[in-house]
Amino acid sequence: MAEPQLPEQFRELELFLDWSLATERERTAKRQSSNMSQIRSFYDAMVPRLEEILNLLAKYPPDNPPPEVQGLFLMTLALAEIAPAVENFGQPTVIDGFDFARFIPAQGQ
Amino acid sequence: MTAALQTQTVKKWHDLYPELGTGPIPIEPYISCEYFERERELIFRKVWLNVGRVEQIPNPGDYIVRDLAVCGTSILIVRGKDGVIRAFHNMCAHRGNKLVADASGACKGLFTCKFHGWAYSPDGTLSHIADEESFFNLDRAALGLTPVAVDTWHGFIFINMDPNPREMLREYLGEWGEGFDGYPFSELAATQFAWHTELKANWKVIKDAFQEVWHIPTLHHRTIPNVFADSPNRYGHAIYFKLYGQHGQISLPGNYERTPTLVENMSLRYGTGATVIKKSSDKLPPRVNPARDPRWSIDGNAIFPNCLMYVADQTYLTHTFWPLSEDCTLWEARFYYPKANTLAQRFSQEYAKVILRDVNLEDGSTLERTQTMLASRAKKEIVLQDQELLIRHHHYVAESYLKGHSG
Repeated sequence: MAEPQLPEQFRELELFLDWSLATERERTAKRQSSNMSQIRSFYDAMVPRLEEILNLLAKYPPDNPPPEVQGLFLMTLALAEIAPAVENFGQPTVIDGFDFARFIPAQGQ
Repeated sequence: MTAALQTQTVKKWHDLYPELGTGPIPIEPYISCEYFERERELIFRKVWLNVGRVEQIPNPGDYIVRDLAVCGTSILIVRGKDGVIRAFHNMCAHRGNKLVADASGACKGLFTCKFHGWAYSPDGTLSHIADEESFFNLDRAALGLTPVAVDTWHGFIFINMDPNPREMLREYLGEWGEGFDGYPFSELAATQFAWHTELKANWKVIKDAFQEVWHIPTLHHRTIPNVFADSPNRYGHAIYFKLYGQHGQISLPGNYERTPTLVENMSLRYGTGATVIKKSSDKLPPRVNPARDPRWSIDGNAIFPNCLMYVADQTYLTHTFWPLSEDCTLWEARFYYPKANTLAQRFSQEYAKVILRDVNLEDGSTLERTQTMLASRAKKEIVLQDQELLIRHHHYVAESYLKGHSG
């Protein structure tokens, strides 16, 4: 059996590990290339567990958390990334907006 | 007169600044190549310009390079071994090559020109002349990097392209620049998020959009319609304006009653929401929430010519607009938050960052369209309302510079 990639109590979220991405560029690209049903599934899986997830993340300073905590943390960053798609736009990208690819984040952000 | 009293008795903010007038604004400053050349010569090459923050070059040898098309040069800004920040034209004295091509980095020893290997110390002195014996009567001392005036204000690095700046940075920032003592600019710079883009719009088209907020309930109705606006204040009118020479300030109310979205609500528990954030604390320095209005949430500070700095209780952000031509601009946005002590807090910052970035994307497309229509010259003028005081003030100040007045 594979090593757990997320903390034990959140293993069911491993279905969504493809959202565990290190940079804003990767997260906006994933948001842009996903359809609303994929974005919705991720949102619907994360939101009911979010309070519990944040309770756990609140125990860790940002530097060098255990890998499974880091993986879960990166998924919350992706949740922050797609939250406006679900809650504000009803589509993956900004309605009538400027392209993500043209608004270039700082290196490593 | 107290600020609260002013709010009641002043019918229009423009009444306080009659010198600005109330008439329409010609569109030529937004589309004219000739006007842009005058801005370049009489504004950008004469005044102090914010090019970054000290946290970008924390250690001796750290440098950033700013290619400033509007100033017609590239500037090397470097922290010396003595800790002093210096700025130079990024040009080798031998045959004129651009000395440093990278946008930023850490110089371990010398800056070496990749053309023939001349090398300079971080303090600008010419340290090594390759094949020196083949040159003729070199005056090594005169061949150092050409310095550019540089100074800092609360950790913001400013340069001035004028070889003899007519005033020091502190004088230039004047009364506005005093009164921020105690604001934690450095502490809040622990977490920075930055973006840049080239927008096909005149730099003032973009600046104008960020120095009035009454477009928010309309253009940003999907994202942040009611962060400032509420039912009695449906357009999200500012609660205070103050002008300080060439600089100006707009204070905005917070709508603390609005209902956050699900994810924002979770994010708020760990510090940061869609914008702001916390009610005004009594500890803020006098230039933050200058009217001491309990409705306050954030101030926009317009630092002439091309920098806007929004300052709230626990965060600030800057927008800087670098003209590339009369109809193209390098727009830089930078958000500043305190150091996240936990991963949950970092998530909260991410939510705030993403929603505000998406708001900027809503602006971007609109501003490019605005530029195309201004360029049509179908209308010769635009009209401004009372909440657009800072836009009018910019034109007023710019005109005085273009007439040769020193500010």
